Amino acid sequence: MIKIENVSKSYVKGKKSIDNLNLEIKDGEIFGFLGPNGAGKTTTIKMITGILNIDEGDIFIDGKSITKEPIDAKKEFGFVPDSPDMFLKLKGIEYLNFLADIYGIPNEKRKERIEELTKKFEIYDNLNSEMQSYSHGMRQKVVICGALLNNPRNWILDEPMTGLDPKSSHDLKEMMRKHIKDGNTVFFSTHVLEVAEKLCDRVGIINKGKLVFVGTYEEMKNKFKENKSLEDLFLEITENEE
Amino acid sequence: MKNKVMVLTKVIFKNSFQNMETAKSTNESKNKKSKSMIILYIFAFIYLAGIIGVFSNGLIKELIAINQEEMFLGLILLAIAIFVLIQTIFSAINLLYYSKDNEYILPLPIKPSEIVAAKTNVLLITEYSIVAILGLIPLTIYGILTSASILYYISMLIVLIAFPIIPVLISSLLVLIVMSFAKFTKNRNRFQLIATLFILVVVFALSFTMNDSTTTPEQMAQMVIKANGLVEMLRGAFPTLGMAIDGLTNVSLENQILNLFLLVVTTTVIYIIYIAVGQKLYLKGAVGNLYSGKKNKKKLDEAKAFKKSTLFKTYVGKEFKILIRNPIFLMQCVLPAILFPILIIVLTFAGMKGEQNGVEMDITSMVTNKTSIYLGVGILCAIQFFLMFIYISATAISRDGQNAVFMKYIPVPLMKQIDYKVFPNIVMTTFMNILTIVMVEYLLKLPIIYLLLITIAGIMMGVLQSYISIIVDLKKPKLEWSSEYAVVKQNMNLIWPVILGLLNITVMIILTVVVSGFINSYIFICIIAVVYLFLTMLVRNYIEKNTIKLFEKIY
Ligand SMILES: Nc1ncnc2c1ncn2[C@@H]1O[C@H](COP(=O)(O)OP(=O)(O)OP(=O)(O)O)[C@@H](O)[C@H]1O
Ligand SMILES: [Mg+2]
Repeated sequence: MIKIENVSKSYVKGKKSIDNLNLEIKDGEIFGFLGPNGAGKTTTIKMITGILNIDEGDIFIDGKSITKEPIDAKKEFGFVPDSPDMFLKLKGIEYLNFLADIYGIPNEKRKERIEELTKKFEIYDNLNSEMQSYSHGMRQKVVICGALLNNPRNWILDEPMTGLDPKSSHDLKEMMRKHIKDGNTVFFSTHVLEVAEKLCDRVGIINKGKLVFVGTYEEMKNKFKENKSLEDLFLEITENEE
Repeated sequence: MKNKVMVLTKVIFKNSFQNMETAKSTNESKNKKSKSMIILYIFAFIYLAGIIGVFSNGLIKELIAINQEEMFLGLILLAIAIFVLIQTIFSAINLLYYSKDNEYILPLPIKPSEIVAAKTNVLLITEYSIVAILGLIPLTIYGILTSASILYYISMLIVLIAFPIIPVLISSLLVLIVMSFAKFTKNRNRFQLIATLFILVVVFALSFTMNDSTTTPEQMAQMVIKANGLVEMLRGAFPTLGMAIDGLTNVSLENQILNLFLLVVTTTVIYIIYIAVGQKLYLKGAVGNLYSGKKNKKKLDEAKAFKKSTLFKTYVGKEFKILIRNPIFLMQCVLPAILFPILIIVLTFAGMKGEQNGVEMDITSMVTNKTSIYLGVGILCAIQFFLMFIYISATAISRDGQNAVFMKYIPVPLMKQIDYKVFPNIVMTTFMNILTIVMVEYLLKLPIIYLLLITIAGIMMGVLQSYISIIVDLKKPKLEWSSEYAVVKQNMNLIWPVILGLLNITVMIILTVVVSGFINSYIFICIIAVVYLFLTMLVRNYIEKNTIKLFEKIY
């Protein structure tokens, strides 16, 4: 469960990049975070994960405040950043082991977990070479594997599908669905509206730092009393908010 | 052709320096802040320039007293040549082969000779900034002190512009030759490393053979004693050095003008040859396949691959891996810790040779008071000097670039991570420390207890420096860089270790002069060690109390 309470943030004084954001992502749901470029998706995710200091308000992950109990809160999520270029001089296996050590995963479980995840994404055979030699998608896969290694309850993913081939993207979606069945949470940002429509239990649309819609696709259609595609609705919502 | 070269030069230059500007600052308060930073840097520059100036002033006056002031010209020019030679090797490897702009430039319809010319221009421009400090200031002071005519200043400018070019070309050519073998290799990373080390070995071998020239040991020792010896020896091997010196010396007007003319002509000829050879080597060389990145699928060793280890081991291990696998980081951050003491070994052996042949050069017996307070502090000052070139901690955050945010979302306390990141710096400074001390012991044969105290004080100094440096990096991290080189070279933060180091040396010397009369040297070194320990605790405490604020800029 992720709870965002009255959060504001400005990079530059006087210009709020996030303006009084309130959002609750419940247990057992996949939440899609949508919005045009520069809307504030990455900024929000950076605040949830503790990368960016919060100006006002607070964020709770499974009830733990990211500002007051950061270490405990950080144990509760796995995070995939928007750029997959992580420590390229490390070998894939070194990176995964590094993360496993950070999360204190015991030998047996780590072997099982790394093999399971990397074989699923078909990068197991590449693990012994430096990540510099990986393609964009392969890097993305390693980072995803790393984030899911210790089986965190909350997944926070910033545009996780970019660069993935259709099969991997499909696999990831399947994994998300399976993950929330056990009462866990998935929060991810995306530009692919089709993914949001088919995969997400609820979506949030943010525009210029303000949350302009939260709810299911059905609710969106009801609210606007139009039976349009998500794409048309999205364009309408983000257009009107001048 | 000229136009293209100029445009390209400008683009490459701007690109490699754009990171120096303070990015991310648009609002006024930040602008003010960066203005005050600029003022600070100007002060730092003046401080550096001042030290060089004071040093030159003293040396020239000494030399004037014994009517040998012209020796100064040779020494300065030699210093410039050596500095530029070594410096260019590093920057040439980066600019010609590792720089990311290659990806954009190589596909453009530009002749290789133009690319080489433009890149060499950038190398030259960069070197002139060093020449400005290392050459312009001392030579101007020389002019003032010897009340030289306007002719001297004009010659000085010509010499300072023309003279550094050939050292740049030599180093750059050396890099081009070695790197052109890269296409025969399969493992590009390993080759880069080996090639880089090879070039360094060549440089040191050269500096060794300079000392080991065919002159008889007696002559050699006398030359070293004359201090000017090296310059005299090099005149033969390095003709433009002689031309530059004679071009500055007022023997006769014709002679001076002739030498300046020769200097400019020689430089031009060598430049033309360099471009002709360089363009062939450059394209033949590694450029084409540098970025192909080989995918070697080595099988995992399943028995070893999934071993758990402690957080400390795994984190520090990761830091070391990234440092060592990156040729640029390795050269700039790790090697100085080893190379500087080794350089002393080389010079020491040269000195020892003189001694063997009966000339009075026995350093061991020259130092009569083995527990002198000045000796101890002197060694500490030398260690502090070497410390200024170990950048591991001063770039610990910036080296991670965009990955620095990683520190903030993993569930490991930031203070712990700082300790881990500082640790490699402490290891390398300690290593450098011990190497230096071993050499000092070999030379001077100090009492072991005194030496031990000095070692401890030196190590404490290294620890203190490690923690202070990381604060500097945290306050002004450089997370968006185009090539690794920008982090370790075009990084204004690195001036801080130098400033603080010089400050430390100054304070230590002043304190020593003040207390030397009435304090035991053992006790004094102990006090120094304790003070460093105390300061380290203070600094670490400061970081611990302010971690959140210190990490504010990393996102
Ligand atoms: N480092 C920064 N400094 C100043 N402003 C920033 C910084 N990063 C983001 N911003 C601003 O904050 C706003 C939100 O940016 P953010 O990166 O959160 O957008 P986003 O929704 O993730 O966009 P995209 O879809 O392109 O990824 C933008 O207006 C952007 O200009
Ligand atoms: Mg984004």
